[in-house]
Amino acid sequence: MNDRIVLDNVSRFYGEVLGVNRVTLSVPPGITSLVGPNGSGKTTLMNLITGLVRPTRGSIQVLGISPTNPEKLFRVCAYATQFDSFPRGMTGFQFVYSYLRLSGMSHDDCQRTTAFAIGRVNLGEAAHRKIAGYSKGMRQRIKLAQAIAHDPRVLVLDEPLNGLDPLVRAETIALFREFAAQGRHVIVSSHILHEVDTISDQVILLSNGYVVAEGKIHGVREEMSEHPMQVIIRCTRANVLASRVFEQDHVVEVRLHADGGGLLVKTRDADRFYRALNHLALDGVGIESVAPADDNVNSLYEYLIGGEESTR
Amino acid sequence: MNQTMPGQWFSQIALVVSLEMRKTFFSRRGLWVYLLALAPVLIWFMHSMIELNLRQERQALNAAHPVSTALLRSIQRGATIDEVVNKVGEPFAKNEFRRPNIAVAIYQYTDGDNVFAFQFRDDRLMNINERDRDTIPKDSLIFAAVFQSFYLRLAIFFGCVGVFTNLFRGEMLDKSLHFYLLTPIRREILAIGKYFAGLIATVVIFCTSTFLQLAALSLHFTGSEISEYLAGPGWGHVASYIGVTAAACLGYGSIFLAAGLLFKNPIIPAATVLVWEGMNIFLPAALKKVSVIFYLQSLSPVVAPPDAKMPAFQKLLVTAAEPVPVAWAVLGLMTLTIVVLTVAARKARKLEINYSTD
Repeated sequence: MNDRIVLDNVSRFYGEVLGVNRVTLSVPPGITSLVGPNGSGKTTLMNLITGLVRPTRGSIQVLGISPTNPEKLFRVCAYATQFDSFPRGMTGFQFVYSYLRLSGMSHDDCQRTTAFAIGRVNLGEAAHRKIAGYSKGMRQRIKLAQAIAHDPRVLVLDEPLNGLDPLVRAETIALFREFAAQGRHVIVSSHILHEVDTISDQVILLSNGYVVAEGKIHGVREEMSEHPMQVIIRCTRANVLASRVFEQDHVVEVRLHADGGGLLVKTRDADRFYRALNHLALDGVGIESVAPADDNVNSLYEYLIGGEESTR
Repeated sequence: MNQTMPGQWFSQIALVVSLEMRKTFFSRRGLWVYLLALAPVLIWFMHSMIELNLRQERQALNAAHPVSTALLRSIQRGATIDEVVNKVGEPFAKNEFRRPNIAVAIYQYTDGDNVFAFQFRDDRLMNINERDRDTIPKDSLIFAAVFQSFYLRLAIFFGCVGVFTNLFRGEMLDKSLHFYLLTPIRREILAIGKYFAGLIATVVIFCTSTFLQLAALSLHFTGSEISEYLAGPGWGHVASYIGVTAAACLGYGSIFLAAGLLFKNPIIPAATVLVWEGMNIFLPAALKKVSVIFYLQSLSPVVAPPDAKMPAFQKLLVTAAEPVPVAWAVLGLMTLTIVVLTVAARKARKLEINYSTD
């Protein structure tokens, strides 16, 4: 279990205010997204994992290390917080360099590693400028550079894509994927659900301090039997297919597309539906494409957390 | 990263000190600490300038009305105005007035250094008031009183409040403390590093001020007076005052580092410690030792005897409560500092970031 981040019945209260409550998780390596509205407990969970706050109850282990031991934890872990403040008067280079020096690296190694980390987030030209003069996107990138500089096995990133332009956003996501592909943890909180959907290996959905779902998006979606799965089919003879599909006892609703070239099916048993669809296709219905319509984070969010807060 | 633990701790402390140094020396929030440190320098400088002016005036007056010190001191009570004038000449200032049934006259003379005021009543000398010029022993006692009652108890005290409580609390307010808390550094090491940074800053600022105060105070003495003083106890006094200043930063620094970690509002603990230090003289012997001022007074090189003219409150502030030998005072202060730093380090170990509620 030493490659996992384990939270065992963790609760954190701020006086009488609930931060998170009874959270039990075992997070495997890969990209894990924390999703939830403001105040749902995402940042508290990240602060707990990195020891910036301590649990009122329960215990936490990050790759077998307790967050109460920062001297050990931050040799394998890094956290880019959402706090947009930096030590006064520092340049981007000094910010990363100082962090590495405090980690115990020699001056020469720090110089080299800092330049490499800053290069990875494409901030080389601005490295020797004061952070106070950086744009929001540049500040996000320098935080990321600091986080990745010492090559951590666990990368915790609070809203890391905020303020990044599309190109940098794509590069940053590629960086997360590269880390995850090496068997590391990348824990990301985000409000941007379509991005979470594309980058996450697993999601943790939080609401009001509770974990309402966790795991791979598809797996979580399948467990939600009270919400029928929606499938979009583009085909020829959509009306014929609609009548055949509706004969299946697990199909609860079928809607024809306005152009007559497809339909939306709601089914309580996706596996049986896909098997049945294979038979129908063999019967001469020209199926162009089949795609799940709500097997994504956006739908999970909508179903599990509801309209507590609009999301992008 | 192959350093041994103590080696790594020392290098981490050195790094924290170097990172903190600019903040502690040049923070806008700390500007008033410089003012606090420089205020007494300015006061002593003005004192010296006034004394120099007075001396020049007296010497000019003496040139216009020449008279020697010996002659002025030979005048006895009971002499008449004419006898005095015949002996020492016309005064540089004469003030005559009548009170009911009494004719009062005040004649002032100077030998260039001191001013003698002869007070006559009905033509008879009743009173001789000799206002001596400042001497090093005299100013040394005044300096000791101001050093103990103002500089140690207020200037250094509040300077340390400003510098040391800000080491953690200031970064909480700036929301930048997480920079350190996310590094692989023991929180105790961080607390010690920050303490040393604060200590270096306050020692440099306040010891420089102490030296400048002594220099400013000596401006109105002649070169020969200063040489004589330095050849005697002078350098010892200078070193002791600077040492006591550093010791005050050491002791108060540890207390206010701990206060910055333990309390959200440092004003409350600062006020409590101020009262505690102030009432030190009334405390039982065992409790007296739980204060910084007790040891600092024992270390002060010149004991300022409470002057009859001193306000009662100031008398209390300069009165040392059963001073202990220097070695005991140093040991006691070090012990107190280490105990308080241990408490601070333990608190730092459990430090949490919760900017929103700070």
